[in-house]
Amino acid sequence: MASLAPAQDRRAQTLHLDRPRRGQEVVAAEHLSKRFGGVVAVDDLTFRLEAGTVTGFLGPNGAGKTTTLRMLLGLVRPTAGQALLFGSRYCEATAPRVGAVLEAADFHPGRTGREHLMTLALAAGVPARRVDEVLEVVELGSAGRRRVGGYSLGMRQRLGLAAALLRGPELLILDEPANGLDPEGVHWLRTFLRDFARAGKTVLVSSHVLAEVAQTVDRVVIIDRGRLVTIAGLDELTARMRGAVRVRAPSVRALVPALAAAGLEATVLDGDELVVPGASPDRVGEIALAAGVALRELVEESSTLEKVFLELTSGGRP
Amino acid sequence: MTAQLRSELRKMRTTRTNVGLLLGLVALVLFGVIAGSLGGEADLSLPENQREVIGNGAFAAVFAALIGLMAMTSEFRHGTIRATFVFTPDRVRVIAAKVLASVLVGIGFGAVGASIGLGTGTLMIRLRGYDVLFDAADVRRLVLGTIVMSALWAACGVGLGAVVRNQVVAIVALFAWVFVVEILLFQYLPGVARYAPGAAGTALTGDTVGSSSVHLLSAPVGGVVLAAYAAAFVLAGTVLIRRRDVT
Repeated sequence: MASLAPAQDRRAQTLHLDRPRRGQEVVAAEHLSKRFGGVVAVDDLTFRLEAGTVTGFLGPNGAGKTTTLRMLLGLVRPTAGQALLFGSRYCEATAPRVGAVLEAADFHPGRTGREHLMTLALAAGVPARRVDEVLEVVELGSAGRRRVGGYSLGMRQRLGLAAALLRGPELLILDEPANGLDPEGVHWLRTFLRDFARAGKTVLVSSHVLAEVAQTVDRVVIIDRGRLVTIAGLDELTARMRGAVRVRAPSVRALVPALAAAGLEATVLDGDELVVPGASPDRVGEIALAAGVALRELVEESSTLEKVFLELTSGGRP
Repeated sequence: MTAQLRSELRKMRTTRTNVGLLLGLVALVLFGVIAGSLGGEADLSLPENQREVIGNGAFAAVFAALIGLMAMTSEFRHGTIRATFVFTPDRVRVIAAKVLASVLVGIGFGAVGASIGLGTGTLMIRLRGYDVLFDAADVRRLVLGTIVMSALWAACGVGLGAVVRNQVVAIVALFAWVFVVEILLFQYLPGVARYAPGAAGTALTGDTVGSSSVHLLSAPVGGVVLAAYAAAFVLAGTVLIRRRDVT
């Protein structure tokens, strides 16, 4: 198994010395804004990433994720605010510490995968040996000699990741890397990113589907229409994922004050039906018994992370 | 800078585009020489007609311009520009390396075009039974001029590509200029046409009249004018590439 870091790359070794310790700030978006003509793509976005974390960058399509990532990488110039990686704007000094996969289609179809990596390796002063190493890491070993035009979308994603790994980065920025990967590929990517973060490195991975990254990330930065919606640990998001209890009873309204007394807020849906979010069926049953309300139905309704995500973003709006 | 140059040269030789351009150049020069020397109207006893046959190697300049133009625009067309700029955030360095790499390949194209034009041209003239009225100084000027013209056109191509970015638009613009605009200029504004990039390049090869009756610039002045065009295109391209977002 090839290693994730370049074996004897001198530059990588010196970088190793000043690698940020866990908890140190690696990415800082400060009041980042971008306007394209009259369209505001990113609007006053502020967030920070610490070393050793895997952060999901989430939002529906068109939320401004891609534009934000490109501002971090110096491809797009912010209209206002600034994007800092390792404390400075993306530049020649920070570039070797950062790996990025932006689009799965960014290859010349007539060039082989290995030659694509070679053109980048030459520019970065990375030895050819490292090119073969990263091809092994992404499991493209023999396919590297074929033209990219014949690659599947999944193979292109892997080739992009191989390019991102060339310089042995401490920070990976991935834009929708799971697009086009089969379930096996998604699993592989998940394992890969976990191992990467376990080594104290940092990952920022965007997606428009929370479920895609939920098993990989520690935290999420959720944006919608260019604005920050929330920054939360995955555990906090899970905590919001409380279920609800649906109750049907002939005199259901009589239950509302009893529930309120127990600190539970209920919403009456119909004449004989109400919903109590964040409660357990056992508890609601006890309260109903104490209040002397006969129940016709007591059902637990589960929620999912995806629902929480949709509620937080415009996807949940009517 | 050396690293970036090596990267750019690697890009050039790992797709089939540039091999195709080289083959196209060889084919076009051969066609020009053969058609020009066998045509019924061609009186090869006249030195200017001999020059026209032998000078077909000057097509190399257009191909060199395409090399430079593709070096820039194919990165935008295929999206590789993103990886290129992520690996080398200093965009000026990327453009400088592309100019240098294109100039080097342009020199090669110029040498190939001039040699084939000269070799097959003199052969055809002799086969037609005429004496070759080209002395060593003429040959030197033709070969060097074609090489310098091709090198400068390659730089122009990178600059034009950087300004336009869209590959198809850039190629159409290049061809429209070379094969339409400059020819119209010669027809209607000959005084201005002498200073056009194509005419300035032709002057470099030692041609004094070109394909029209208008007197061209002297070779050194032609070289300076063409170099100024190359510098202007590269500068404009650099300014724009630095400023524009890569989305």
